[in-house]
This record gives sequence, structure tokens and C-alpha cells, in this order.
Amino acid sequence: MVTLSSETYDAVVVGSGAGGGMAAYMLTRAGAKVLILEAGRDYNPEDAPMLNLARDAPLRGSGNPDKEFGFYDATVDGGWNMPDEPYSIAEGSDFMWWRSRMLGGRTNHWARNSFRMGPYDFKPYTRDGLGVDWPIAYTDIAPWYDRLEKLIGVYGANLGMENHPDSGPGVLQPPPKFRAWEMFLKAGGDSVNIPVVPARRAILTRKIDERSPCYWASSCGRGCGIGAAFQTTTSLLPWARATGKLTTLTDAMVYEVVLDATGKASGARYTNRKTGEQHEVKGRVVILAASTGETARILLNTRPNGRSEGLANSSGQVGRNLMDTVGSNLSANFPALEGRPIYNEDGAMGLHSYIPFWQYKEVAAGKFNFPRGYHVEIGGGFGEPGIGGYGGFDGYGEGLRAQVKQRYGARIGLTQRGEMIPNANSFCEIDGEKKDRFGIPVLKFHWKWSDHELNQVTHFQNAMKDLVGSLGGKITSGLDAPVDAISKGGEIIHEVGTARMGASASDSVTDSYGRAWDVDNLYMTDGSVFASKAHKNPTLTIMALSMRASDHIAGRLRSGEL
Amino acid sequence: MIRTSQTPFVIDRRATLRWIGAALAAGQLAACGEKFGNDDWLAPQALTGKGVGKDPDLNDPVVPWPLTMTRAELLAAGALADLILPAEGDAPAPSKVGVPAFIDEWVSAPYPTQQEQRALIIPGLAWLDREAMTRGNKTFALLEEAAKKAIADDIAFADRVKPGMEKPAEFFARMRTLTLGAYFTTEAGWIDIGYPGNKPITGDYPGPTPEAIAHLKGVVEGMGLKLTPV
Repeated sequence: MVTLSSETYDAVVVGSGAGGGMAAYMLTRAGAKVLILEAGRDYNPEDAPMLNLARDAPLRGSGNPDKEFGFYDATVDGGWNMPDEPYSIAEGSDFMWWRSRMLGGRTNHWARNSFRMGPYDFKPYTRDGLGVDWPIAYTDIAPWYDRLEKLIGVYGANLGMENHPDSGPGVLQPPPKFRAWEMFLKAGGDSVNIPVVPARRAILTRKIDERSPCYWASSCGRGCGIGAAFQTTTSLLPWARATGKLTTLTDAMVYEVVLDATGKASGARYTNRKTGEQHEVKGRVVILAASTGETARILLNTRPNGRSEGLANSSGQVGRNLMDTVGSNLSANFPALEGRPIYNEDGAMGLHSYIPFWQYKEVAAGKFNFPRGYHVEIGGGFGEPGIGGYGGFDGYGEGLRAQVKQRYGARIGLTQRGEMIPNANSFCEIDGEKKDRFGIPVLKFHWKWSDHELNQVTHFQNAMKDLVGSLGGKITSGLDAPVDAISKGGEIIHEVGTARMGASASDSVTDSYGRAWDVDNLYMTDGSVFASKAHKNPTLTIMALSMRASDHIAGRLRSGEL
Repeated sequence: MIRTSQTPFVIDRRATLRWIGAALAAGQLAACGEKFGNDDWLAPQALTGKGVGKDPDLNDPVVPWPLTMTRAELLAAGALADLILPAEGDAPAPSKVGVPAFIDEWVSAPYPTQQEQRALIIPGLAWLDREAMTRGNKTFALLEEAAKKAIADDIAFADRVKPGMEKPAEFFARMRTLTLGAYFTTEAGWIDIGYPGNKPITGDYPGPTPEAIAHLKGVVEGMGLKLTPV
């Protein structure tokens, strides 16, 4: 039995992460009455275990099947492994589906890496004939990136690099200084024409409202109680709440969109994850920002008039075009960094610098056997000693202690983050048999990388051999065959594409505002609307698109069109 | 140091006896005194049970699983850890900063990674004591330093593992990584390695010290490269 709520909201927003949090912020600020339905539990970022010691936690805080990113990771009640909320994987596929069941979603624990998509990234088909173009160009989204970066706070530098757009004047916050090992890597990069440049991250180096600047300690993944590292629970959600227009329901797991007799969305139905009771809420517009997989699941599980293809799926593209970032990792030791003077290298607990893709010209000239780029995220320094990472030592006794100390701070990790091109073998659909504990049919994932991605891994490995070699270093792990070195689908937690936007209702699910072609008042504002998966980490673009979509929705609400 | 027959080891001997009893009960000591090869490693039954759960109190960490190592195993593990990373100057030995107890926490955890390692470590510790008995008629913890080293020398160096001792060598390597990880995550370990972080700093990130920059400049220019501070 479904309990019907008497109240009608201007907007029902499903999800409170990057896409949903932004929609709630924009719409409440525009005067709309908004209801957020969040599947996970309530979460107070002041509870973030900042500075808590790994040695006080089970297994020294290291990851395990319950807490995959470690005991102190902000993700609670979620992860790849959720016994009560299974998913299935097609035979021959491998896929890991991360869920974040908490207010603020994945924004509580993400790395905060915030790279803009560039002009090429919105028109990939035009550039190389693969995938599809977006229905918008970079110039359409650029003003939103500026507005967004200023609002949430992003540190970085304008470098004038090809397809790595600059921000407007005064938009970025100052980036932190490079650490010694980053300057070292840059010296090598300069000698082999691989750029090592300031990174961009949604971390404050200057105060915004009540949010403090970074205090240069405590892993961002634990959540940032001081508000320096951006997450919706310390920014967009409290700001939206301050308007008095926001209602938030947690443990509200939406399983379908409700339609009225004319085929318009009239609200959503959810299961209370604590009680199992079902409820229906009403809204003039319904906005799905439940995450790429979950948004597709809701659409496919909504069966208007029993139609098996689900909602908003006249194109047949819902669940299709599932993409994730191409990932692989190398680790290298540098004798030249051994025994260097120790100082505090915690910094922003992540990228101060990175390697943006630097060979667009070579790609365009057809010099490579892969069509799309990648960037390299780098890690190293005098970090907090962990339980792992001692595999490279031999022997025992007096000399061993000296060896460990000698090599402290001499390792650099190089992480590939590359673009994947959508392919017919990578998608999700409803599993015909399996249901979760609430009785909601689960997703079944199909996944396959293509040579486009595998060849990109080879290029990454070779380029990094040059870089590491230029500094007299040695790659100690990760040089496996690309098919083994490449991440599993979903492992990088950048899934996008299952309700892609496009210029035509025939081959896309939404228009450029995330509005379903088939349902005029149904919007998607999460990663599902991505038409391609640039190598740039998706969260910043999810928020920019959500901002643009929400502005459009606010206009329609105001005009009475909705 | 030469050990004499007068050296007291009453408590340890009692522990050893208990170990022998437990091992006999488990059928693991049946071949005592014979040559122990790679085939004698009986993996203990994998532990299952309650882990930390999906939503533990992050500000009140609790190890919810029972610890399972016997006193004999703890003694062997502590002695081996101390051999791997002996005390030096102000840096204490692993057994003085809780490393054996952590190894117990680790191998008792009901997770696949830890259970896979338990299947190597628990039989490995039994092997260590058997080997010590065979060679010196004492448990490993009670062997003289030189005798301990004689065993370690057969298994601790990847390029000269004594033929037939591949499994013990694998055990030793695992104990080395676990000992180092357990040790350098302690407060004493942080001090010894010099980790200076986890300290909030107000203002901008200071970046490398002048000393660190000067050193780096020397290193980089020594390689024929150019340093550009950013």
C-alpha cells in the first residue's frame, strides 16, 4: 500500500549529491518549494573523523569489504558491496557499482578533482567520428563553470592549454605550492615534454561564508567538517535549507516516477528503507539525480501502462552508453628522492599538481592508435605511514630499518584517468528475476572495454616509462598487459551516460537541459545525461549542467509553464 | 650473547607445553622431529563472523571480532617481528609497541584478505617453532639470536631461499610486510620514520622548507635537469 502525501512541491528532487544538491540549491534560491528524497541516511559532516588516528581503528584503518576505502572513509552504509541491495553482472562482464547511501551522496568522499571539460570534449564525434556529440558546445557551459567554481570554491591556475579551458578572471582560488617531489617530477617532465602543472580541486584556500580554508591535514575522503573540501552537506544543502524552501527526506528510496493521465510526471514513489513502507509524493517537476545507475534503474522500473521499455525510453537509449573512466596505476621509486630532508607534505591531501593530456595535436594528426586522451594524477611524499606498501623490501635486521627510512618519500604513484568511448557492450538493464530486499528489481550490468581504451593504457605506460626514466627512477608495479592493468568498469566510480542528452529524440533520452524528450516535466541532472565521458573527472560538469538545467527549470516554474 | 642452560624460561616453557598440547590435538605435531617440507602446512579453518559493518561509529572505533592467536603463536610472532626489525637507539622493538597483538587482530579479522594471510601466517608460526625445535630443541622465541638468524637466513632473502623452503620464505615475506606496516603506524613508528603531518596549519600551505628546496636543487641539477619552484 502506498501512502499519498498531501503536499505538492514545486520540485521533487531524487538524490542529494552533486546533481541533486545543486538543483535544490538553485531552485530554492529561485523561490521554489523543493523536496529532496535521499535513499541513504542523514549525515552530519561535523561527525567526520578528521585527524583521527589510523592506529586507533580496526586493521589500522585499512579497507575491507565493509568499509572499502578504509574505516574512516566518509561513505557510510554504502560502497560496492551492499548485501541488502545487490545487482547482477552479465556473464563475461565485470562491473563494480558504487552506491552512496547518505545525505550528500558521493560528494562527501570524492577526491575533489575538478577539471573542466573543454571544447573538444563536447564535440567528440565531430573530432574523430566516434561516439556522439553533445547538444551543447563548451561556450554554452563556460559561463556556468565560472559561476559554479566561484560558488563552490576551486583552487587552480589558468594555463592556456589546449582543451583545458581557463576560468574567468577572479574565479579560481590560489593553488597550494608544489611539494618537493612534485617539483622533482616537473623537472623530469620538462625534459621529456610532459607537463606537470597545478591541479584544480574543489578545496578552499580562501574562506567562503562559513566554510574555512583547508588546514592542510586529514584525508578529504573522510569528509571535511570544516567545509574546506566541497561537499553538498556543508554548502548547497545548508544554503538551500536557509531559504526555508527545502524539505529533505532521508531513507527514502525512490523506485518509480508517477505519471498523471496526460503522461506528465506528477511525483515519485519511494520505499522507506527503515520501515519498508511505501509513499508517494507530488511535484510539478520531477528531477532525477540518483546517480547514473540508480537514475536508469528508476526510469526502467517505471512502467507507464505496463510498457516494458520503461519511462522516457522511446529512443531505447536508457541504460545504454554506460561509461566509466579508464584507470590504471603505476608505482615508481626514485633513488634521487631517497634521504631528502623531511618536512610536512600532507598539503591538501591530494593533487597540488597533475599531468593534463598534452598530445591533442598528435591525436588529431592520426599519430596514435587511440582516439581520446587521459590525464595523470600523481601521489607521493612523506605521507602517513600505512599498513601496506612494504612489498619492495628484502631481508631483515638492522639494515632493514635504515632501508625503510631511506626510501620514505621516494615513491611516486602515477594514476591514469582516461576517456572511454561508449560502446554497445557496456550498458545496464533490469534483471528480470533478481530483486533487492525492498522488492525493487535490480540492475544487471554488461561491460567491455574496447581497443580504444586498452591502447590508451599502453600509451600511458610508455609515456610514464619516459618520465620515470628521465629522473633515474624505476617502475616497481603496474606495468601489466593493458587488459590486466585496466580498471574494472565502475571501479573509478565515474559512471555516466545511461540517459544521455542529445540533439534528437531519436537517439538520446534528454535535451541539453536534461529534460526527457518523452516527458516534458521530467529532468535528469546527474551523470546519466553525459553524452561522452571525457577524461576529466565528472563531478564538476555534473554540477555545471545541473546549475544550467535548474536555471531553466526555475524559469519554466516562474512562467507557469510547469 | 651465549645462552646458558641456567637461563630461566619457566613461563615460556609453560606456554610451549600448551602449544604442544594444542598442536598435538590438531594433529599438527604428528611428524615432530622429521623433516618439515612445504607439504606440511595445514591451513587453519577460515574465520567468519562479524566485521566492522557498513556503518560503524567512526569516532568510537571498536574491533568487534575475537582475537584468536594462542600465546605460543603470539610469542613466536613477537620474536620474529623483533628479529625482522630490531630495536635501535630510541626506536623500540616491535614487540614493545603491540605489533604481535596487531598481527592477532589482523589474522583474526573475518575478511577474505586477512583470512588468506591467516592461512599462511598461522601454519608459518607453527613451522617456525617446529624448525626451532628441530634445530635447537627450543621454541623460536627461546632460541639464541644466532640460531634465530640461522633460520631467517634460509628464508628471508628473495634471491637465496634454501631449496624446499619456498613456503616458509613466503611466510617470512608476509610477516615482514605486516611487521613493518604494524610498526610504522604506531606512534613510535611515526617518530622513527619522521612523519611530520596530521597537524592542522593555519594560512597558506608553507611548501618545502628552504633546506628541502636547496637539497632538491642539488639533486635535480646533478641529473642535468632544471628545478623550477612552483
